[in-house]
Amino acid sequence: MVGIVEQLDVQIAQLLSGWNTVSTILLVGILGFVGWVVYDTQDADTHPLLLARQSQASYVRQPGESAIYRSPETPHGYPLRTGLAVKPPGAPLYTAGRDGDLRDIWRRVTGEIPLEKNAASTGALGGKPSATGKIMTVFGKEGITEHSIADITKEITIIGKHLQSHGAKKVAIYLPNSVEFLAALFAAAFYGFSPVLIPYNQPHPALIELLIRTGADSLIAEAGSLPLADVTRGVSGLRQVIWTVEKTSRHMDWNEVPEGIGGKIDVSVWHQLVQDQKNGTLELPQDAAKAPSMVFLWQEGVSKSVEIVEFTQQNICAATGALISSLPGAQRMSPSDLFLPADSFTHSYCLCLTLAALFSHATVIVNSVAGPGIDLTLATRTIAPTIAVVSAETAIKLHSTTTASITSGLKKLVHYLETRVLISGRMPTDTFFTRLNAPTRASVGTTPGKLRLLYVSERAGQNTPPLTSSDLSDLRIYTSARVVYALTAAKVAGAVAQTNIYDYRRGTTPANKHSHFGIPLSCVEVKLKDTLSHRTTDDQCAGEVVVTGASVAGGETCLGLNGTFREDHTLAYI
Amino acid sequence: MADSSSPPPAAEAASVITPINLVLLSLFVVLVYFRLKPAKPQTLPKAPPPTVFRTFTPPELFPYNGLNGMPVYLAVRGRVFDVTAGKNFYGPGGPYANFAGRDASRGLACGSFDEDMLTEDLDGPLDTLEDLGEEQIEAMRGWEERFSEKYLVVGKLVAVGSDEAKAAAAQR
Repeated sequence: MVGIVEQLDVQIAQLLSGWNTVSTILLVGILGFVGWVVYDTQDADTHPLLLARQSQASYVRQPGESAIYRSPETPHGYPLRTGLAVKPPGAPLYTAGRDGDLRDIWRRVTGEIPLEKNAASTGALGGKPSATGKIMTVFGKEGITEHSIADITKEITIIGKHLQSHGAKKVAIYLPNSVEFLAALFAAAFYGFSPVLIPYNQPHPALIELLIRTGADSLIAEAGSLPLADVTRGVSGLRQVIWTVEKTSRHMDWNEVPEGIGGKIDVSVWHQLVQDQKNGTLELPQDAAKAPSMVFLWQEGVSKSVEIVEFTQQNICAATGALISSLPGAQRMSPSDLFLPADSFTHSYCLCLTLAALFSHATVIVNSVAGPGIDLTLATRTIAPTIAVVSAETAIKLHSTTTASITSGLKKLVHYLETRVLISGRMPTDTFFTRLNAPTRASVGTTPGKLRLLYVSERAGQNTPPLTSSDLSDLRIYTSARVVYALTAAKVAGAVAQTNIYDYRRGTTPANKHSHFGIPLSCVEVKLKDTLSHRTTDDQCAGEVVVTGASVAGGETCLGLNGTFREDHTLAYI
Repeated sequence: MADSSSPPPAAEAASVITPINLVLLSLFVVLVYFRLKPAKPQTLPKAPPPTVFRTFTPPELFPYNGLNGMPVYLAVRGRVFDVTAGKNFYGPGGPYANFAGRDASRGLACGSFDEDMLTEDLDGPLDTLEDLGEEQIEAMRGWEERFSEKYLVVGKLVAVGSDEAKAAAAQR
């Protein structure tokens, strides 16, 4: 034994006798490398095993169907989320709260119902936290104009009273994203008429057909955007038209009624109505009668076939509440956020997110440049939003223009390095090396780096261009913001499923197909029904997607597309 | 003269590539390799597949009594519960083992584990429990509530020859 130890000692001494400067350099290199690795290693944003199994499957499944999958916020055995959980002022924090409707959202904006106690303490553009919400508009290259909530409330009461006194029951709103759109929506909730939200930029014959199909008896539209003579001739039930006029055209007289119509139709102008009744005492009605439902039109593009869906107030509010609670506490919308809806309000996902922003007292910036194919760089020329909602087409446009600008090897290298950071579970931050060699970023907003959350929606059954998981990962690097991908459908308010905000995984789905859509929202549960081509077995889960919940029109709907739940229990297309 | 001039360069070259240098260099390369290796995403082992809800007739339910590695099921008022978690009680050798794989409604209502609480004829109609008093029905409801809080409902119990049994057999 002693001999072996002595031999070993001799061997080691022989080995170390060859020590020279190169050895010292190598040793310093190794220690430096280990030290740098220790310094650089940080925890991932969320535990990787939480992403390994995301939604909850039920333990029993009916034959011919798959297990029912739910969000972990509303596990099996507990009721699904049905609304906003509105608490009256002064109620203790632990009360459940009632479902609420659009009126409660506006009451929260005006400050009548205060924010929860642990809200953020600074406003979006500096300054004190406001007790009310904030709505601003931006037009082209002009700066941002803030609209006073009291003025908007006045507009709501005036327009609402006007339409109610004329007996309007179904009011078609044919406007681009604007404050008037929101005001008309809230007026409908307060004054008991049903709004029909018509996607903007329709050709005139299509618009007339939609007005007839939905049975609208009133219309709120932009002056000059449609030929009144043709519309009144085509739509026999139309009784009321309210024009909204932009500031530059207000000198013209829009009260004209075309010949041959006579007293059948009443034409008024928004700003004149508001001007005439400006000095009256105007209060929102406080009655508790059920607010009427809203009609959404689900359409692939202008003048394509339209599906008419009626959502009740509960559908919309359940979706809004679920969208608020789908974000973890640290990432939720707060008064310090600047929210930009860059998709049109006629898409229920964008509208529900806007209502969620209003409910959380975030500053909402309304831009009439909003819709499926817009350029986000142009829309954010004068503002620096922190949260934005875009359609898949806009996201793809952003991605392709930014990818085209990556040409040099250095840029590709730093993009690759940031992708590695994302795969390891963290958002890439500015380090010493990125300041030397900055990765390519898309120019979104006036101040780079302000955008922190980007919502992208996929419209089921409408041939929306696919976003692969590598596209989403690249978008996270280009915008240096977290990207959430959601599956939206015609009969489901808000979204069916939405990815986890901290899910940065890449390569989880095939390279040329849609990325997975994450977990169902907490207001719905999703199951897959066997079809002839796809069935659920013990090994795999496939079939036609069926969604049940409080945000679904009619309670339960079949989406008409085939989906699967993957190993990590996230929903994906087959 | 030529001999004294040639060794030094070779010796210097040789002195750089000493064993210790090779060891340190390979250690460095291995560390850098492990750092740069792309990490596989962490996964959880696959969860057990969900149980398929099934319509049972008493003979079909009978084998589910915990013997031969079968799960333990028992039926209360037409609902079949998976009580494998409570195998110590309901499984073979347990105090309530008589209930395993059978309709336990009468036994739970009367609070007895005797053999005569179970329906003898598995092919006959189900026990209608008509002759039970208020208290016993209450007791059975209480048991049923506890079962639905603790155990999973995995099926439905119907009589042999009933329409539902025929429909379920046709589906399979």
